[in-house]
Amino acid sequence: MPPTETPFHHDFFLKAQVLTKHWIPLFHSFVQAGFPSPSENYIERVCDLNDLCVTNAEATYFVRVAGESMMGDRIEPGDVLVVDSSREDADGKIAIVWINGEYTVKRVNYEGDTVVLTPSNPHFTPLRVNSGDDFRIFGLVTFVIHKP
Amino acid sequence: MLGLVDCNNFYVSCERSFNPALEGKPVVVLSNNDGCVIARSSEAKALGIKMGLPYFQLKELLSQHEIKIFSSNYTLYGDMSARVMATLGQFSEEVETYSIDEAFINLEAWGNAHSDLLIMAQNLRATVGRWTRIPVSIGVAPTKTLCKVANYFSKRSPENDGVLILDTPARITEALSDFPVAELWGIGSRYAAVLRRNDIRTAAQLRDAPDEWINRNLTVNGLRTAYELRGLPCKMLETEAAPKKAICTSPSFGRLVPDLKTVSEALVTHLSRAAEKLRKQGSAAGTVTVFLHTNRFKISPNGQPARQYYNSLSAQLPHPTASTTELTGYAQALLKTVFRFGYAYQKVGVILSNLVPIDHRQAAIFTDGPDERLVRLSATIDRLNHRYGRDKVRLAAAGYDNTWHHKQQWMSPAYTTRWRDILTVK
Repeated sequence: MPPTETPFHHDFFLKAQVLTKHWIPLFHSFVQAGFPSPSENYIERVCDLNDLCVTNAEATYFVRVAGESMMGDRIEPGDVLVVDSSREDADGKIAIVWINGEYTVKRVNYEGDTVVLTPSNPHFTPLRVNSGDDFRIFGLVTFVIHKP
Repeated sequence: MLGLVDCNNFYVSCERSFNPALEGKPVVVLSNNDGCVIARSSEAKALGIKMGLPYFQLKELLSQHEIKIFSSNYTLYGDMSARVMATLGQFSEEVETYSIDEAFINLEAWGNAHSDLLIMAQNLRATVGRWTRIPVSIGVAPTKTLCKVANYFSKRSPENDGVLILDTPARITEALSDFPVAELWGIGSRYAAVLRRNDIRTAAQLRDAPDEWINRNLTVNGLRTAYELRGLPCKMLETEAAPKKAICTSPSFGRLVPDLKTVSEALVTHLSRAAEKLRKQGSAAGTVTVFLHTNRFKISPNGQPARQYYNSLSAQLPHPTASTTELTGYAQALLKTVFRFGYAYQKVGVILSNLVPIDHRQAAIFTDGPDERLVRLSATIDRLNHRYGRDKVRLAAAGYDNTWHHKQQWMSPAYTTRWRDILTVK
């Protein structure tokens, strides 16, 4: 015979509250019912654009493009460049350089002892760095963020 | 071995990091309210510009020299500091961020050979230089106090090229014999006076003084310094930052302020900032202190010093809280009590103290605990402001009149933290 009255008084129960919410990342495989999910080992963080564009956060800077000299490399006014100052091998690469009082983005080419800054827009002429020039490399362009 | 990495003229170097046109020119950075000089390039030092020089005195030099002036851009300095510290992590597992521009690092992994340490230190300098364009000096030695000494000399003697390693007794003795004892880390002005009276002038003399004498005259703290000078580490690396015990914000007004309404709006603005810091470090405050004062240097039109007023008042809260809304209520009540009509105020500030971890709070017997809804509201406001910009969501009590805000006439762009401020290239 089951008891007709519940032995518990409702005061014994406390109302549960949800105070925090956790976002659960998407699983990479299907879950099979009645079986320990093998996908638990594969839980991952959601994809983050930083992982793709930024390899060395301490040395990474963002730079906005204002000129048209690198249109041939699809670097257009308004684009944001991801620049890594830790990369050293500038030869043949697109870099942000400081030349005689202003920053510019150009392809850097070493020709013997001199440096040539080459634009990729045919309407612009290459610039040869002379020994008296104030020239320094700020960093190499690793990604172009372009809004189509 | 330990290392002390110190950024040279850090604030100036941050400005130069994004603006190479400043290289070789005298550059100064002014304090919060553009009040006085707080950082100088070596060229500015050479002109005889002293630390703490008020701006109005600097103005006289401007006509003779081309001096570049900057308001302090702490957003930029903070981010560049974080980048330097993170870069040090490439060279050592243990990095103790000692201040915004200094860090101690553990170099055990690099062994004790002089040549290895030298190569490592030069490599570290070059790496930080390339990644952040901030020049650093490195002192390497067996103890923190000796690292400070090594760093002092690495900066001052050009032949050292920014690196000095004090690893042999001979090298250490040579450095300590040249080092003024009053400049030692941990020797304040009181200890310095005691040492001067006893004719102890160099760090080497303090090192060689009898333990018993040091203990009697300089307490155990002085003895610890002496031990460190002898190469026995007494101060360990502290890689976990301790949460602050009190939080204070009190920038000066950009002009003198006479009315309660404006002072109150400034107070609420400062408090919002302080409460934000409080929540960021996961604390709640048990005590709120409000203080305000007039300008000590102000002269009345009649030539007499202006009437002065200073007051402060604290309130013990019924329960610790981190809610801006709740703290504002107390702070405003405190301000109403200390405020006196008829003065021109220079500064109002708030101190949050008696801090406890936010999860340790408990409801007292006769009062309710903090209102959970307000706690969550503050957290939401923090997230919104983090995402959409400082002070986008704020209390109406903070007002809309910003004319009291401190002066920042020569602020450089926040090159690394604001999208509209990033570098532009042709």
